[in-house]
Amino acid sequence: MEPLKEDELSDQELDALLPEWKAPLAPAHLRASVFPNVSRRWWRNFWCFSIWVPAPVAVLIAIVVVLAVWRGSVPVAPRVIVRTERVDVPVLKDRVVSRTIYRDRIVHASPAAPGRNAHELQPVAELRPVIIRSEE
Amino acid sequence: MTPEKAFDEYHQAVYSFAYRLTLREDIAEDITQECFLAVIRDPQRFDEARGTMKTYLFSIARNLALKQYRDHRLESPEDGAPAAVTDPRTSMELSSAVAEAVNALPLLQQEALILFEYEGAALEEIAGIVGADVGTVKSRLHRARNGLRRMLAPYRKAESTHGTA
Repeated sequence: MEPLKEDELSDQELDALLPEWKAPLAPAHLRASVFPNVSRRWWRNFWCFSIWVPAPVAVLIAIVVVLAVWRGSVPVAPRVIVRTERVDVPVLKDRVVSRTIYRDRIVHASPAAPGRNAHELQPVAELRPVIIRSEE
Repeated sequence: MTPEKAFDEYHQAVYSFAYRLTLREDIAEDITQECFLAVIRDPQRFDEARGTMKTYLFSIARNLALKQYRDHRLESPEDGAPAAVTDPRTSMELSSAVAEAVNALPLLQQEALILFEYEGAALEEIAGIVGADVGTVKSRLHRARNGLRRMLAPYRKAESTHGTA
């Protein structure tokens, strides 16, 4: 070990000096800034509540949500429901012709036109043709 | 170990370590907070086989302080000769003088000295925290103490009269 110079402290002197430098105490609010959740009110915790979800699960949930939204936005064709109901309907029976009866029709003679008598219409005894020339 | 229990046990030590490295209470608070948030966010990263929770927390704090150091004090060398310092004789208090002297050490010596002298860490623990072997840590400690011996020499008399005044 090299000898101490005039302008140097010994180990003992240095060891006695070093503890003179004291660090300040850590501030009391340090805990609150490291663990803010402890000092939060319950309703603030409620709004800031978070959960850890693994990425694959998050992706799956996102896909399901997108599919659900997509299906909700597409109009669905109306479903036709065929339902058979038995209804009692009153039946009108047709009349069945079982026989035909003929009977004499009573003809009422119409009165003869005046001046026209069938007896007056007789064939001529002698034909007398009349030739009519045309103007051409 | 739960994050709450780790906080109860080590938050003061982590805060002191961060404060001594940065000399800023606000930055020490941020670093301490970040350390425990890292434990809460990713508890699987702590491997009990690789070291204790204390070692793990101090490693995170050390990395954050280093980042802070690099962002704001790039002009200071990380290792090698001590940087030029304010003459400790101008400090009004012994505490400030020691703080300034330690802070004037290169960062790698500084962190080794703080962990050993102030946080009571063993050489193996320091080696785990800073990611170096024990021999390197010993060497850094030796150089750090040599530097402090010189820088704090003006306080020899003051220190010796400190108790009698």
